[in-house]
Amino acid sequence: MSGLGMAFRIGTELVAALAVGVGIGLLLDHWLDTGPWFLVVFFFLGAAAGMLNVYRAASGIGLAPGFPQRPEKGTEPGEEKEEHDGPAGTGRPGN
Amino acid sequence: MANPLAQFEITTLVPIQLGGVDASFTNSGLFMVVAVTAITLFLTLGMRAHRLVPGRWQSMAELSYEFIASMVRDNVGTEGRPYFPFIFSLFMFILFANLIGLVPYSFTFTSHIIVTFAMAITVFLGVTVIGIIRHGLRFFTLFLPSGVPMVMAPLLIPIEIVSYLSRPVSLSIRLFANMMAGHTMLKVFAGFVVPLGILGGWAPLAVDVALTGFEFLVAVLQAYVFTILTCLYLNDAINLH
Repeated sequence: MSGLGMAFRIGTELVAALAVGVGIGLLLDHWLDTGPWFLVVFFFLGAAAGMLNVYRAASGIGLAPGFPQRPEKGTEPGEEKEEHDGPAGTGRPGN
Repeated sequence: MANPLAQFEITTLVPIQLGGVDASFTNSGLFMVVAVTAITLFLTLGMRAHRLVPGRWQSMAELSYEFIASMVRDNVGTEGRPYFPFIFSLFMFILFANLIGLVPYSFTFTSHIIVTFAMAITVFLGVTVIGIIRHGLRFFTLFLPSGVPMVMAPLLIPIEIVSYLSRPVSLSIRLFANMMAGHTMLKVFAGFVVPLGILGGWAPLAVDVALTGFEFLVAVLQAYVFTILTCLYLNDAINLH
């Protein structure tokens, strides 16, 4: 994924997980009539999930829950370009 | 100054009632029809000549096809091939919706969250069903990464479930928020052009020209982001690790 595409992605990942957490908490509280407790618990779970999403998106280890890595999929366009740029940059000082 | 949000108003064109449900044909529906018609014309007329050495138009049609084909191949692998038609349709629909929405006096239906959420929830449910069909109950190991100590499971599983459920929300909010914010900003600056008169009006006009260029970038980029995330989610469901 391109850098700009990444920039557009990450902001919403954080907010969306928090919103989903708070939503689940409110629904459970409304359903079970249990004061603010589920809201409090799921607020923190949502915040944690949001940070997890951002971490996974930013470090490129796949976005899905529970994903250590994506084996043969390490060839994202961005990464490939960096590899090409490397040798070109180091070969220049001769001039 | 004109209301910058007036552009998002839904107006009924043909009132239809289906069993008490309001299923009227609105301006939003009209532009969906326009987008689908434009895509169909773009692809069928572009490929009508089917020359070996393509002209400009045929080249554009082939480029958009190959762009998505390679995206599916790189991100999902060969097993993603059956889902290519859906992903290609999704990309073209969003791309044309965003681009047609930039034409003055037209309507951007991707700036309504219900439209983007409907697309996102379709992708989400579809991917989940594909994952369950292919892997059965093993699909739910998605929520517990291998090698995690069992003590952590009660904390980690709810976090992973919230993270998984946040996918359709983030997918739909991203597209909707970008389109709505961009179009509102265009209108706000455009609203200053005439009131500031012949001397001061040039500044907001210049900003609007720059913003229009930026909006073209956002339109294409958001279609791309939505599609590539669909591919990545599909990859998770198909190649479960």
